[in-house]
Amino acid sequence: MAAAASASRDDWPLALPLAALFIAFFVAPFVVLLSLSLQAEQAARAFSLAQYAKFFGDTFNLSILGSTVWLAVRATLVCMLFGYPIAWVCARAPARWQSLLVFVVVLPILTSVVVRTFAWIVILGREGIMNHALRGLGLVDQPVPLLFTETGVIVVLAQVQMPLMVLPLFATLSRLDPNLGDASSALGAGAWRTFFRVTLPLSTPGLVAGCILVFSACATAFVTQTLIGGARLVYMPLHIYQQAIGANNWPFAAAISIVFTIAVMIVIYALNRTGRASKAYGDHR
Amino acid sequence: MAIEVSRRQFLGAGAAAGLGAMLPRGVRAQGKTLVVATFPGTWNEAHRNLLAPYFKKRTGASVTQSIQLATEQLAKLEAAKGGRPPFDVAILDEPQVLDAAKQGLIAEYPAAKSPNYKDLFPVYQDKWGPKISLQVIGIGYNPNKIKTPPTSYDDLLSPAYKGRVGLTALNSQLGMAFLAELNRIKGGNEGDFDPGFAALKAMLPNVGAVAANLGAYATLWQQEQVDIAPYNFNFVQTLKAKGVPVEFVVPQTGLVGWTTSLHLTTNAVEPDLAVQYIDSHLAADMQSEMEKPPYDIIPTNSKVPLAGAITSTVAKTPADLSKIRGFDWTKINPQRTALIERFNREIRM
Repeated sequence: MAAAASASRDDWPLALPLAALFIAFFVAPFVVLLSLSLQAEQAARAFSLAQYAKFFGDTFNLSILGSTVWLAVRATLVCMLFGYPIAWVCARAPARWQSLLVFVVVLPILTSVVVRTFAWIVILGREGIMNHALRGLGLVDQPVPLLFTETGVIVVLAQVQMPLMVLPLFATLSRLDPNLGDASSALGAGAWRTFFRVTLPLSTPGLVAGCILVFSACATAFVTQTLIGGARLVYMPLHIYQQAIGANNWPFAAAISIVFTIAVMIVIYALNRTGRASKAYGDHR
Repeated sequence: MAIEVSRRQFLGAGAAAGLGAMLPRGVRAQGKTLVVATFPGTWNEAHRNLLAPYFKKRTGASVTQSIQLATEQLAKLEAAKGGRPPFDVAILDEPQVLDAAKQGLIAEYPAAKSPNYKDLFPVYQDKWGPKISLQVIGIGYNPNKIKTPPTSYDDLLSPAYKGRVGLTALNSQLGMAFLAELNRIKGGNEGDFDPGFAALKAMLPNVGAVAANLGAYATLWQQEQVDIAPYNFNFVQTLKAKGVPVEFVVPQTGLVGWTTSLHLTTNAVEPDLAVQYIDSHLAADMQSEMEKPPYDIIPTNSKVPLAGAITSTVAKTPADLSKIRGFDWTKINPQRTALIERFNREIRM
């Protein structure tokens, strides 16, 4: 630890190029956005919190914020539920299968998000593959609405963002010492007990990293949300887009963006805290 | 295996690239590229397949399309104000022209440099940019699913079409014009949209999808997600030519329309080419090509007779065109923000 710390004291100039990039293309625009959001109205010079008051004074805006966070939470849970077994299989597979499995997992991010989303429209539509299959199997008589529903949006988000969950989990799980599991079963613990008491706590860092990535990607997934959800399901990204482009109300759009950014950061912070707490718990053991 | 490049090689390559950039450009427009905005749907296809080749033949320059709605163009031009605009030619619908001119986003059209301009019917000549067409909306429906063609917008409220009606958000002119017309039929006017929103609310059980943009709207038809919806005449024609089961009918209450125009943006990078591009769109031979299927774009050049599906569906004579109902956009424009917000609030799941 001490060596690493002293090395980082000398190496900090290496981070300068990235820091410069970060300041020029993230911090500076963010400051512009912030100052824009503090305008009382378009092109007004006076600073005011009017835009924020407008946002928080209206339950409509708050309900959009709430439904966006809730949507991302559900999509993250689906990713977790399906991603964990996949990561587990990848981590336990023989080395020559591993690269193939990881490639399959990464495959979705190799195509453009627009193409993937339009493919999902074909799958989920009234006359789509899914509904044809369901009707062919005699499970339903009438087409089930999937497109333009929240369920549809969650399914597509989970598929599209799955690699972001699987990759960090895979990294953590493959570093896990298999002897720990053997030790646990030698001491009489069953497979589930071993999983919940040994594997899961030790893989928490990967899980938390995956959740952070998936959550932030799902909450801000403008293309998927608008194409699968349509204009009746308004989430924050579409709300910002409509205020900025449709209504040309930049100060308000900027204020919503700031509120949204902070809301996402709060969730990420909370996830991070959970990760740290459980890591400390693991260390004490 | 790392690719090794010595510092000398690297510098040499950099200098060559730099010199290449400094070489004098061709005197002709050969090799130049004009960036233009175009609408999704029929428009970008007609502009890519007909207008761009025509323009290239005339000037030697090629065209890069940027597909976006009028409201999006205004927002981007506004953001770039004072510097170079992101595109040299804007395509706007009637309501946006006044706003764009007022905000200084478009330049006055140099009609003297545009030989085809004088051939336009006088109503389509405008100092801010020539009208290239008239867009009209009616009802689109899927003839495989709906055997009796609809006759009025009230049919969208019929219980027979539960979950089968499509709508599009108010960011497009189609969405806005449909709302204005529905509102008018239900007794409202440009100053009072309550009847329109009441009708939309009554329609909600029927609404199967509200597309967030026009591209997604076309997909709704291709995937047979909706069977009946307000739609542009041209868009129906273009989809039909692709084998999508969709037909266009004029409702009893008549057609609603608006003009669409091309504009030279303020501080355009290639203003002369931009004017040539716009002028190409006005040429009689170009407009008669665009009038053919699958585009069926209504011409504005007085030398181009109305033909094809336009005469059987929209208008037999130019005089008929002038009878198509429009709206007072100067009254609706200031309410746009409020209307979009109201639509979001009331037309939610």
